[in-house]
Amino acid sequence: MREQLESVIAEVEKVIAGKRKVIEKILTALLADGHILLDDVPGVGKTTLAVALSRAVGLSFRRVQFTPDVLPSDLTGFSMYTRESGTFVYQPGALIGTNLLLGDEVNRASSKTQSALLEAMEERQVTVDGQTYSLSSPFLVIATENSVGTAGTQFLPYAQMDRFLVRLSLGYPDYEAQMTLLRDRQGTNPMNEVRCVLTRDELTDLQCMVRSVTSKDAILDYITRLTMASREHEAVEVGISPRGALFIDRMAKARAFLEGRDYVTGADVQAVFADVCAHRVLLKASAEGISVGRVLDELLKKTENPDRRGLFAGKKK
Amino acid sequence: MTKRWMGYGAWLLLSACLYFFENNTGTRAVLLCAVLLPLVPPLRTAFFSPDQPKKDEIPEAMTVRTFTRREPEDSGEIRRYVPGDPVRRIHWKLSAKKEELLVRETAAGQVIAEQGNGIDSLAGNDAGHAVSAAKDLSAPCCNCRNHTPANIKAHGNSRPKKRSRQIAAMLAAGIILCGMLLLLIPEARRSAQGLLNRIFTASEAVNSYRYARFAVPENQSVLPAAILLLCAFVFLLGIMAVLGSRLMALGILAACMLFQVYFGLAFPSWINILLCALFAGWILRRPVRRKDLAVCSAFMLLVILLTVIFLPGVNADTEAASEKVRDRLTQMAEQIMGTVSENPAGEAETRHIHTRSMENGDREAETEQEFRLVTVEEEQISMPHWINWVKMLLLLLLSVLVIALPFTPFLLLNARKRKAREIRKAFASEDISEGIRAIFRQIILWLETVHPGAENLLFREWAGVLPEDLPEGYADRFARCAADYEEAAYSNHPMPERKRREAMDLLKETETALWNHSNRRQRFYLKYWMCLHE
Repeated sequence: MREQLESVIAEVEKVIAGKRKVIEKILTALLADGHILLDDVPGVGKTTLAVALSRAVGLSFRRVQFTPDVLPSDLTGFSMYTRESGTFVYQPGALIGTNLLLGDEVNRASSKTQSALLEAMEERQVTVDGQTYSLSSPFLVIATENSVGTAGTQFLPYAQMDRFLVRLSLGYPDYEAQMTLLRDRQGTNPMNEVRCVLTRDELTDLQCMVRSVTSKDAILDYITRLTMASREHEAVEVGISPRGALFIDRMAKARAFLEGRDYVTGADVQAVFADVCAHRVLLKASAEGISVGRVLDELLKKTENPDRRGLFAGKKK
Repeated sequence: MTKRWMGYGAWLLLSACLYFFENNTGTRAVLLCAVLLPLVPPLRTAFFSPDQPKKDEIPEAMTVRTFTRREPEDSGEIRRYVPGDPVRRIHWKLSAKKEELLVRETAAGQVIAEQGNGIDSLAGNDAGHAVSAAKDLSAPCCNCRNHTPANIKAHGNSRPKKRSRQIAAMLAAGIILCGMLLLLIPEARRSAQGLLNRIFTASEAVNSYRYARFAVPENQSVLPAAILLLCAFVFLLGIMAVLGSRLMALGILAACMLFQVYFGLAFPSWINILLCALFAGWILRRPVRRKDLAVCSAFMLLVILLTVIFLPGVNADTEAASEKVRDRLTQMAEQIMGTVSENPAGEAETRHIHTRSMENGDREAETEQEFRLVTVEEEQISMPHWINWVKMLLLLLLSVLVIALPFTPFLLLNARKRKAREIRKAFASEDISEGIRAIFRQIILWLETVHPGAENLLFREWAGVLPEDLPEGYADRFARCAADYEEAAYSNHPMPERKRREAMDLLKETETALWNHSNRRQRFYLKYWMCLHE
């Protein structure tokens, strides 16, 4: 089980060199059955990563390049009148039958297209002309946002950002990684070498097992204290929502599972906290020179971790 | 031994202070507080515990444990085991250290296990260590002395106890005999009456009360009565020593006090102090049981209340002044009544003394005015009862303060000790996970106390910030243990006993290493505030 996940990472690493951590995080999100928002500059391999992942896990993959004139019906499908039978026939959209959907530059789509996508993400079903079609399972959306060239784009509203399990960024590769990248692509395309090492059913089983990972009350207490502290922080306008807390727990479980444990520890929560919460926290306009990352770091530092909880209760300080 | 005497010294000093207080306020209630004070366990253990064993007697490897106070606390000396000693009195822990069987000696043949809850629980905490030590030790030791455990038990404590009862009965008979002699022999009876007369005289000097004397000559010898009473008193002390009973001492003391309160008959303060010191000495020889303490406290409080309410103390000066004023008052009243009765106008005109005095001249007016002034003065001296109540209230408050104040730090420390004991108890908990969790948290507590500054790190991350002076390989063992801790704390896995043992070993190693490396301030902190040694 652990070896399977390890081999998935190995397969993806064939194409994306030196990004083990991000790959692990994406795999974690996949295990936690949540959606990913990739926030990065163009050309660092977002699409490549998604394709490689879909191949290694044997998921059906589709990609939608969002522009202002992509319509909701392109995603959900639409009913078309056929003259022969005189009835409306449903033409499936990009969401139907897809396990892994890469929504490229999701912030360029019009707001109604965005909302159609986000609704499908949440409900895992689409409704067209009163007919409900459920999406295939597992269903994972990797949406990307470019942080440069934002002219004419439609930023995802805060409420919709909340639907994504994590926001990650790939970042530029280092010297070694880039050299490997260049060398690998001299004669062949490494993408062709990616083998399928995990079937879709196995992935579903793994997701089931992740859900049965133990999160003791001490951990839930820690998550609760973290989120509540985020709401009370003086630089924060909107803190982490209850859904955010739920997602921290889910993501921590998946991480524990990936580490080969069947119980969540404080370290898991700390590891996933920044990724899960960075896009959920809105700072006040008056908080100048403070970044969300710093606020989250501060929260982690100040909130008593579950190991220490109650240990130094009577002590000075 | 010095510590014990220091304790007595401190207590006597306190009593002396209270004696002066008593003399100056004219009340006896405070004296009782002085008796009460040393009975409260925290103070007793702080001041009155005998010395600890000397450090150099203990092997180097055991230094961590040298600060345990437990060994000699039970008031006894430690001596070698001889066949016939009760097995329950064997000091297993010390025996394990010295590798020979040692026994705690108690003041009078009572068994340690009966000595109150506090010590019982202490012993209970130690059970884990003791049992293993016992297994190792008892077999060879008993063999070499040709004793099986059963044999030792047979030699138990029944004989000394029985004998002490007999002695006590004899002593009691002695007391009764003294009392009867005192009543039956005419010479002794007269002598006792003479003694009482003398006490009355002494009391009058203090109290300005008057007593009816017995009809015996003034120069009657008090020697026979004094000798008999002394004998009875010595016998009484003997009973107390043999039976080791504290309640009796307290009862006698309380009876003395009540007697004084009831008859308004005060011994001079120094006699009271002496009595208290004598009895308290006996009481302090043995650990106080909580039940006894509750009973005594309630009783003492009652006595104090009675004293304060019915006998708020007599100030000789006030009394004398009052007496003087009263005399003058009677004198003047007689004078006035005299002038009025001399007047032939009769009763009706007495109502108009004022007008009459205006007519008759200034002499009578002066007399009347003086009369009024004196009346007011008398009222001021004798009337205002509420002042007495305020005085009583203040006195009560003061007593409570005097009693409570010295104990607050001890109470605090006691709470800490209790907490530390609870933690220790968790080590051997049924649930192994809980045990490992408690043990590892204790390790962290040690580390944090001696080397603070790890802030809000997860325990597994402590492996990276451990101080450098720890033994080799410690960090690895720590990391392994931290992983065990996480499993124990956050998973539902059953943990093997082996892991608890590992954690316990690590805790011992941590304690040894850190104790040896910590400075005096840290040791003090560890010892008294964190109670990590408990």
